[in-house]
Amino acid sequence: MGGTQQPQPAGTGATATKAAAELAEIERTQKHVIKAALVPVWYWWVMAAAIVAMGAARDSHNGVVLAITIPLAVLVIAALIIATIPGVRRGVRVHGAVKPAAQAAVAIPGLILLVDGVAIAVSATLTDHHVLHPLAIGSGAGATALVIAGPLLNRYFGRLMLRNARQHISEAPGLGGPWHGLLSSDPGDRSPHHAGSTGGGGSP
Amino acid sequence: MSTAGFDEVIHAPTRLEIVSLLAAAQWAEFKYIRDQLGLSDSALSKQLSTLESAGYVDIRKSFVGKRPRTSASLSRAGRRAFEQHVAALQQIIARSQQDGDARPTAEAETGILKR
Repeated sequence: MGGTQQPQPAGTGATATKAAAELAEIERTQKHVIKAALVPVWYWWVMAAAIVAMGAARDSHNGVVLAITIPLAVLVIAALIIATIPGVRRGVRVHGAVKPAAQAAVAIPGLILLVDGVAIAVSATLTDHHVLHPLAIGSGAGATALVIAGPLLNRYFGRLMLRNARQHISEAPGLGGPWHGLLSSDPGDRSPHHAGSTGGGGSP
Repeated sequence: MSTAGFDEVIHAPTRLEIVSLLAAAQWAEFKYIRDQLGLSDSALSKQLSTLESAGYVDIRKSFVGKRPRTSASLSRAGRRAFEQHVAALQQIIARSQQDGDARPTAEAETGILKR
């Protein structure tokens, strides 16, 4: 088994700086894992394009356009959704204690409701007012909501997962002291060397 | 009950990165760890073997079609050791901060006595 020792006395500031740099390095590495679990920005734009394409196809009232566009858009959306299912994305699987399961159960249906709600409301209003291409404009409005809210949701999940990762460590039996007091709010992608040269992971 | 403990196996920079990565993951593929940490196959194999010998990492080998796939996960002992190591680092910083807080007070007292 590994050689575990009791923590050494603080001694010099250099020891504390090294410890802070090591903690910053831990957080930086864990951020990479968390980032791998989140969807990339292009995901929202491709999803939005597929939604607009479906709306525009409906407005065209052209059988051929509908027959090609709708199945294609549905396939794209399905592929994007499947790609986000845990386990489908290869390489790494985020630890269960880090995942924001409860928040995701509320936020994801909330995002779907927002996008659909905006698209339906705008389309219905424009149809009532006999505006040209109401479904294309309505789906465009829904798609706009998606490309704005999607990345925001992503960032929210990223913050939650990082917080969960810190709590998971600080709440381990027999351990004290939360991480957030010792590390700055955003140590970014500093290297251990860099972090050390600037006094470590930040001041409390 | 576990306590804070500085771990020499985890303390080594490359192993610290590997263990930190695995601590946030249920499992990670060999290729993912290698690419994320910018290591060579042999360097990663060596470090994983050390961690496995220490009982900190479980290595799983499987086949996808004809291709072998290796993945690693942190064992219970490894997770505990990592948590203790983090706690030890936190203690070092906390003590340093306490020393830093105490110093100005002592200097002020010395100044009063001199006057």
